[in-house]
Amino acid sequence: MNPRDEILNRLQQVQRDETLPPPWQSRRDFPELAARFRQALTAVKGEVHQVDSLAAAYDLTNQLLRQMAAEKVVVNDERPLPNLPRLPHITYHQVGQEDETLRAFCASADAGLTSADAALAETGTVILTSGPGKSRLASLLPPVHIALVPITALTTDLFTWAASFNRQLPANLNFISGPSKTADIEQTMAVGVHGPKRFIVILYA
Amino acid sequence: MSNPSSATMSQFRHSATVAIADIQLQGALTGATNKFVNGRITALTELPHANALRDHFKKIRSATLANLAHYLELFEERATTAGSQIHWAQTGQDAVDIVLNIARQHGVKLVTKSKSMVTEEIHLNAALEANGITPVETDLGEWIIQLAGEPPSHIIGPAIHKTRHQVAELFSKEVGRPLPADDIDGLTAEARRLLRTQFLAAGLGISGGNLAIAETGTLVLVTNEGNGRLVTSAPPVHIAIIGIEKICPDWDAAATWLALLARSATGQPMSIYTTAITGPRRANDPDGPEEVHIILLDNGRSQLAGTPYEEILQCIRCGACLNVCPVYKKAGGHAYGSPYSGPIGAVVTPLLFGLEEYAALPQASTLCGACKDACPARIDLPRMLLQLRQDEVAARLLPWRERKAEEFAAFVLGREGRMNFFTKLGRWGQRPFQHDDGLKLPVNVGDGRTLPSLAPKPFRQLWDEGAVE
Ligand code: SF4
Repeated sequence: MNPRDEILNRLQQVQRDETLPPPWQSRRDFPELAARFRQALTAVKGEVHQVDSLAAAYDLTNQLLRQMAAEKVVVNDERPLPNLPRLPHITYHQVGQEDETLRAFCASADAGLTSADAALAETGTVILTSGPGKSRLASLLPPVHIALVPITALTTDLFTWAASFNRQLPANLNFISGPSKTADIEQTMAVGVHGPKRFIVILYA
Repeated sequence: MSNPSSATMSQFRHSATVAIADIQLQGALTGATNKFVNGRITALTELPHANALRDHFKKIRSATLANLAHYLELFEERATTAGSQIHWAQTGQDAVDIVLNIARQHGVKLVTKSKSMVTEEIHLNAALEANGITPVETDLGEWIIQLAGEPPSHIIGPAIHKTRHQVAELFSKEVGRPLPADDIDGLTAEARRLLRTQFLAAGLGISGGNLAIAETGTLVLVTNEGNGRLVTSAPPVHIAIIGIEKICPDWDAAATWLALLARSATGQPMSIYTTAITGPRRANDPDGPEEVHIILLDNGRSQLAGTPYEEILQCIRCGACLNVCPVYKKAGGHAYGSPYSGPIGAVVTPLLFGLEEYAALPQASTLCGACKDACPARIDLPRMLLQLRQDEVAARLLPWRERKAEEFAAFVLGREGRMNFFTKLGRWGQRPFQHDDGLKLPVNVGDGRTLPSLAPKPFRQLWDEGAVE
């Protein structure tokens, strides 16, 4: 017998009638999702901005890029990023075009811009998906990751999210809840160990 | 420090004694475990109905294991549909062979790894090295101990036993210039720089997996540093090795799992990165691995299903039980001679790797029950420790002196008359050895400690005389 069948046979011999409990219903009730999101993410050194229009989100994004003197920026091809006004002194890499050079560009980029498919208020988490025009490395290799997230993407927590999503998964789904960090040297927190040092979320209405 | 790959009575006694005398290590252990404990308590207090959620989780884990074959098959089917290649390994050696085969097919020379206890369990790094493949650990803690040539001393914090001075020394050697120990940010930045080149050069990424979701054939990996994301996104091939017990039926159950995992492990509401992988990169994905292999590792686990030890398969390796264990907190992780230390290690190690080789571990517990209280799945570790002790007695694995002592105790305590007789005899017999602070016997029964002497009047007598409130 092959290893697969041996393992499964052994388990089948001892299987019991025991059914899963019904899904856990979220018992969270935040008066304001955005406020909770901000509180949770800033507690772990993430940065959260809330603006009341997409235009204001674009302005803020560019202001942040100027402040950090960014020269190379990688941009995912997902709403609302294609319409972000480009700054003259920055070299952009638009994901989805010349993807052969994407990796090298990401490795030397100053910032990566993405959106997010959903966000969890409870834990200050944004959920990124892979797909055409959506790079995994864009939110990972550069020292700064800026995510422009519509406020409507917010849901309460993992439970409300799990109850609502359609089970059609991309190859890669990332729940990001702060800047990369470690506490492996004497339990002292250090940020930016392998992923971004700064994680900035712009929530827009 | 070498990895003995066993913990007999004398080995455990020896390593624990050395550990207890090591003041630096004691400080590090106390600091780390206290920090983890406080974090967990704060995080669970902040979560409403945390205890009800733990009960719910226990039901999920129990029902999953009751139907493990079904969920494994479902996982295999869905993951295969998504394009992942599923491999089954009965033993650690099988898993190692599968990895080596894939590595050979792709002509891989350099492998980046994200923290995985299972690869420690199967000694993967040694096998890769023996075959001319360089494995680079990328979790900062794992990298530190890889540079030091040591096994991990904690499931969550593999290098908690290392001071920043020791880390600075190791890193300095790596970069060829002295690095200051007091600049932890600087040390971290150095690690980022050095490992970044490896990430981009590696031909293969190897990870473990925290859970595997049957419903969608998804592998879930939880990290804080981002190395798990890099290992699974940058190289052209990704291999994940996961124990068969880490199956989760669906995403609703996964939400419960994830809500408890980080809170119990590090006290975070959620780890920084939770990565869910459903197959290799799709057509028109700009990046990601072209091949994803998932190795389902048995290595003794399926033998435990349906036995009184099945409950140990509910473990999600959060490390919470280590941090509250009075034995772990003094002896440290290395004394257990296994990648799994603390209460979980004391149970799972003898079950997977042999009771005889690890005879000391079921004894390395005070049975205080703190582990069970801390466990997110409420695993009854003390019950299994006791059961293992019974197995040891049945298999005659205890030293003969201990066996004789226990037989004698059973004889004495078995009848009231005998008990009275021997207490009287003892009170008379102890006289030459009595000192102000207790008994000093000529044979070493108390491991160097002073034993209390028998009271002039036994408690029962005082009770009968009405001298006790
Ligand atoms: S036994 Fe429980 S507390 Fe210990 S590592 Fe496993 S899940 Fe965590």
